[in-house]
Amino acid sequence: MSAAINIIDKVPYFGSMFKVESSELDPVNAWPSLIAMTSFVWFFIAAILGISMPVLQFIDLGAAWYYQNLTLHGAAMAFPFAFQLMVAMSLHRAGACLGKKADDVLVTLFYICMNVGALLLTLAVLNGFHVTYTVMFPLPVVGAGLGLWSMGTLILGFTGIALVLTSMIFIYPIKILRMSFFEKRHEDLQLAVRTLKDPGMVGMIMGVLVLLVTGTPLMITAGSLLLHLYGIFPASWIGWAADPVVFEFIFYIFAHNLMEAMAIMVIGAVYATLPLCLADGSRKLYSDKIALLALWILLLTSVTSFFHHFYTMYPALPSTFAYHGNIMSYATAIGAALTIFTILATIWKSGLVASPAIFLILGGFVMYILDGAAAIVVSNVAWNFQLHGTLWVGGHAMVVLIAISSLWMGMLYYHFPLMTNRTIDDSTARSSIKYLFISYIGLFYTFMAAGADGVPRRNADWEGEWMIYAVLLTIFGCMMLYAFVLYALSLTRSKPLDF
Amino acid sequence: MIEALYTNGWGAFIFLLMLQIPFLFVFFHIVNKKVFVDPEPAKTAPEKYSKYRYTWIAFAAAVFIVVNVASIDYMPTIVEARAASAANVQDVSVTARAWAFEFSDMEFKVGDTIRIKAKSVDTVHSFALYHPEGNLLFTMMLLPTAGVESAVVHTFDKPGEYTIRCLEYCGIAHHNMKRTFTVI
Repeated sequence: MSAAINIIDKVPYFGSMFKVESSELDPVNAWPSLIAMTSFVWFFIAAILGISMPVLQFIDLGAAWYYQNLTLHGAAMAFPFAFQLMVAMSLHRAGACLGKKADDVLVTLFYICMNVGALLLTLAVLNGFHVTYTVMFPLPVVGAGLGLWSMGTLILGFTGIALVLTSMIFIYPIKILRMSFFEKRHEDLQLAVRTLKDPGMVGMIMGVLVLLVTGTPLMITAGSLLLHLYGIFPASWIGWAADPVVFEFIFYIFAHNLMEAMAIMVIGAVYATLPLCLADGSRKLYSDKIALLALWILLLTSVTSFFHHFYTMYPALPSTFAYHGNIMSYATAIGAALTIFTILATIWKSGLVASPAIFLILGGFVMYILDGAAAIVVSNVAWNFQLHGTLWVGGHAMVVLIAISSLWMGMLYYHFPLMTNRTIDDSTARSSIKYLFISYIGLFYTFMAAGADGVPRRNADWEGEWMIYAVLLTIFGCMMLYAFVLYALSLTRSKPLDF
Repeated sequence: MIEALYTNGWGAFIFLLMLQIPFLFVFFHIVNKKVFVDPEPAKTAPEKYSKYRYTWIAFAAAVFIVVNVASIDYMPTIVEARAASAANVQDVSVTARAWAFEFSDMEFKVGDTIRIKAKSVDTVHSFALYHPEGNLLFTMMLLPTAGVESAVVHTFDKPGEYTIRCLEYCGIAHHNMKRTFTVI
């Protein structure tokens, strides 16, 4: 029996969400199930911390609590939850579609680096390392200088971040590339045959290449700093890496494209799954060529649209880069427009068989498009100067993670019978989707309205007139947590497949 | 009206709704029809799909071009560049550090045009100016070692207390990094 199944069996409650029975399909099912299960453990921690933030605007426990929860919530949502869930589902897809094993040393290494790294970062944050999930360099170093946290805590936090980044930038992309191009195919593991020309597979490969290419410079920069903190590199070797301008630009080239890579991968996954749910049994998109064109446009335009993170540095960021970022950001929307057309034309042409999986996938797609619209609006230079640093931007980061995660959770519903030989509880799943969508809409428009009203993000002390937004965020946040509890129940209440 | 759209966060919110409401209507109409009302494959002629596709993409591109071209006059980068040679622009220097601002001047008159030149000397900060009525006029990100001070030109249109806040998280007392300009 796989070690992953042993671990799942021993984890209370979350283990019962993924009751994988040992079989000859363990190489594609076991580790993806364990990784998905672990991502949900992180999610429930992140969700409670997220709800605590608007609540802390009413209850004065001190700013330290707010900034601690802010850092832990953002870090847990982005990396060990959303990214780890994506890894679980893409490993399962790659394994089952290409007939490759998803249980080797790289998968184990990914799991250890991601979760041990996240745990070390959590310990550092609990010890005062409140830097938000975007690190805000040079704040980690300045904070140590100001006595906000110790050098030991800084080293602990940076070690955790380095492990998480290693898993995301190197281990996971290398594993997917090996599965796609090199590893031996096992016919008995190939449950749904796909080729590398399929838009779903192309999206996955594009995504991991983006992570590898844009992440490597960040690993070199952050790695140099960490080796200096360990006492291995002298200060004279790392002056370039400690420059805030160098670090921030390299960080955002990666961080922006990380979100884009996750979006490209999930759109690819929609392209792969939607045809399997069509009423006419054609199992074909309206047009593979247009689907691929949309992915290429999203890939090429998103790479340099990261400049929109820096418009307000003008003139330190020359205006030509601001205008370039503006144009490229809106050009990504052309890729999104083609994606919308492909999906709607496919549904219109072939009809759709209703199921919780496809409803959650389509709901997640709607969430992703709504959030994408918010992203391109704020990418206009004129509007950016009035919205950057407000809850418009903070909300955008949060809801895009929810949208992408919802899409993967829909994929999980689709893959679940293959992974576990069980079928989800249909009525609980439908309730979960309903509450998830309503709460998403509520959170999304509350964030956007708060941003339009000038409410600052990452601020522990809101003005009195802004508290209405805290009330609404608390209500919709609780509703979303309820939706996720229902989602978990829909898995724990699953029944054996009736052959 | 165009000025109001581009000089206020609510203008962005209205444009956002203009993009999203038609999308939501069309998306749910198609999904509802093809899942619940008539799940049979549509008998739409193939050439009609091409026609709709080209029309849709042309429409989206046109909207994006119009929205961005119309915003050019309101981009702070353009406003600042135009004011570069004006004689009546008063320079105000701002230094941000954890967790305070220092200003060369804090009192102005209605109609004064100022060029705020701001820098940070420790970590990432920002200079965000709020109108007395509460809306955010603009924000500037301040990155230490950027080499050039961030700069935005602004003309005061109403008397009152203009609040300044740091909008980039900078540590435990970030939320206390707040001052005011007085305009008479």
